[in-house]
Amino acid sequence: MDPILAAFGLVFDPFVLAVIGVSAVFGMFVGAMPGLTATMATALLVPVTFFMPPVPALGAIVTATAMAIFAGDIPAAMLRMPGTPASAAYADESYAMTLKGQLNLNMGVNLVFSVAGGLVGVAVLIAAAPALAEVAINFSSYEYFWLACLGLTCAVFLSNADPVKGVLSLFIGLLLATVGIDPAAGFPRFTFDNVDLISGINFVPTMIGMFAISELLRGAIDLRSAPAAIVQQVGNIFAGIAPVFRRYWFNFLRGSVIGTAIGALPGAGADIAAWISYAVSKRFSKEPEKFGTGHVEGIVDSTSANNSALGGAWIPALVFGIPGDSITAIVIGVLYMKGMNPGPTVFLENPQLIYAVFLIFILANLIMLPLGWAAIKGARQMLRAPRNLLLPVILLFCIVGSFAMTNSLYGVVLMLVMGLFGWFLESHGIPVAPLILGLVLGELLEQTFVQSMIKADGAILPFFSRPIAGVLGVATVAIWGVMVWRGLRHRPALVPAG
Amino acid sequence: MRLNDGLLGALLIGFAGWVWWQTSFFPAFPGQDYGPNLFPRILAAGIALAGLALLLRGLRAGGALLVIEPWVRDPARLLSFLAIPLAAGFYLLAATPLGFIPTAFLLLAGLFLWFRARPLVALPVAASVTLLVHWFFAGLMRVPLPRGLLDKVL
Repeated sequence: MDPILAAFGLVFDPFVLAVIGVSAVFGMFVGAMPGLTATMATALLVPVTFFMPPVPALGAIVTATAMAIFAGDIPAAMLRMPGTPASAAYADESYAMTLKGQLNLNMGVNLVFSVAGGLVGVAVLIAAAPALAEVAINFSSYEYFWLACLGLTCAVFLSNADPVKGVLSLFIGLLLATVGIDPAAGFPRFTFDNVDLISGINFVPTMIGMFAISELLRGAIDLRSAPAAIVQQVGNIFAGIAPVFRRYWFNFLRGSVIGTAIGALPGAGADIAAWISYAVSKRFSKEPEKFGTGHVEGIVDSTSANNSALGGAWIPALVFGIPGDSITAIVIGVLYMKGMNPGPTVFLENPQLIYAVFLIFILANLIMLPLGWAAIKGARQMLRAPRNLLLPVILLFCIVGSFAMTNSLYGVVLMLVMGLFGWFLESHGIPVAPLILGLVLGELLEQTFVQSMIKADGAILPFFSRPIAGVLGVATVAIWGVMVWRGLRHRPALVPAG
Repeated sequence: MRLNDGLLGALLIGFAGWVWWQTSFFPAFPGQDYGPNLFPRILAAGIALAGLALLLRGLRAGGALLVIEPWVRDPARLLSFLAIPLAAGFYLLAATPLGFIPTAFLLLAGLFLWFRARPLVALPVAASVTLLVHWFFAGLMRVPLPRGLLDKVL
């Protein structure tokens, strides 16, 4: 059967549609709650999706993250608290608009341009991924080695953290990935004769710990004295969108293109896309003096960018198995658990699954319009949800989810240890996203590195002698050079700390 | 609690040394130069370098080795922080003997009350969330949640 028709059959199944609907509501809620991020939504979804077939599992993740990235804009505008880090870049600008009495316009712009930006990202994903897969089919261990290096390097290079601490986090993640049976010789490393450790550091409890438990720890400190949020009511959000679109259509296109490109760069996701496109918008604006005073221009750029980054991030994830951001790092883990090793062969063997992902992306962005409208209207009630009830319930979900991944208390122990460790790292300014990427890519990196070293017999030159490997290798080494140069000169990072 | 960059760097260098020492027990294979110890050693070297950079930076900047943030000195806020790992620890100890339903209910009710929910709200919410989670994971997803005391009933 034609794979596109097969994909329609897979997606338009009552169970899959129901999963998409429930995940959409879940994603909206998690994204709109300050302190709960899109990555956390994904982390909490993984144990649930573990028991589903691949299409509903991927559908749940795609839908929930798309909703969460938009929903983060709601509390940013209403409370000056970004719901997810992806909205941090323009939270002040949004709030300034609210203070000027333009909350309705702001919410409308955020919703409409999130949907439109998301669709641009999907369009690029649909156009680029199959074409890239045809190139990637000829890749050898050298190309994969450089791709993994490039992905991990970008994760550090583009993040707004201190480069030394970013590299450190990455190396700790790669080291965690070496626990268990080694891929070359089959020797158990760093297992200390513990049966659970022989299978390695299970990735889902680690991620739940790092992204959810550490967030709960931070949130718990002031939970007993947290005041209730007071939120304005929203009127007609769609009035005034058409003039904004006519005036700023170029900003929308530029933001979406920058967002997709940054998303597609391995290692950088929606939050970085929003920061960079906001900065670009200000730099090339005709009225840069208005930025920061509640001016809609920068918001058009960056709210389009963060949603388009989501689709972009799936390009390297599906084609090479190299995650574009921390969400697709989780997705790659899920694909491995389902026995579908991401990479160009998926496009040959299971094209209907790829088309199904594309369809779900389009669907998710389309239902974002009515659902986002409902979320904006219901924001008053949603933001009043009692956090002192919410946090313990999330903790219980984390515990059960981690338990479900290993069917033993080892998962819960791992989650707790990693949660405390993640909290420790973040309170020392060490970002955890590079660590998670390192943990996911560690085995691929080591395997391709050792394979390539054996093939090249220890020589460096063969790493660069194939054309694509050469380009990737030179690019990676060049970025390393820039990083060292920047580190030595103590220049501030590209992006302000959020 | 925040460690000074210098102290953090020194700890990392020590950790990297320990990793290197561990790799010296990995077997080598004759005729094969690139064995299981190669990659961990590269990583240990990387961590040591990053540690060194932090150590030098910390020494140059000076300041206290350990900064205690205000919330650590406030018993109520410290306990709020500790409540999360304590609750998870309680689950680890109690889940097998008591079973999932009593453990989860006690965990939720205890946390709700500590975070100042009214008992009239806390107890019914704890009971219904526990049953909902149990129904979803044990019933729908077939996760073998521990049965404990309720083994005969379930």
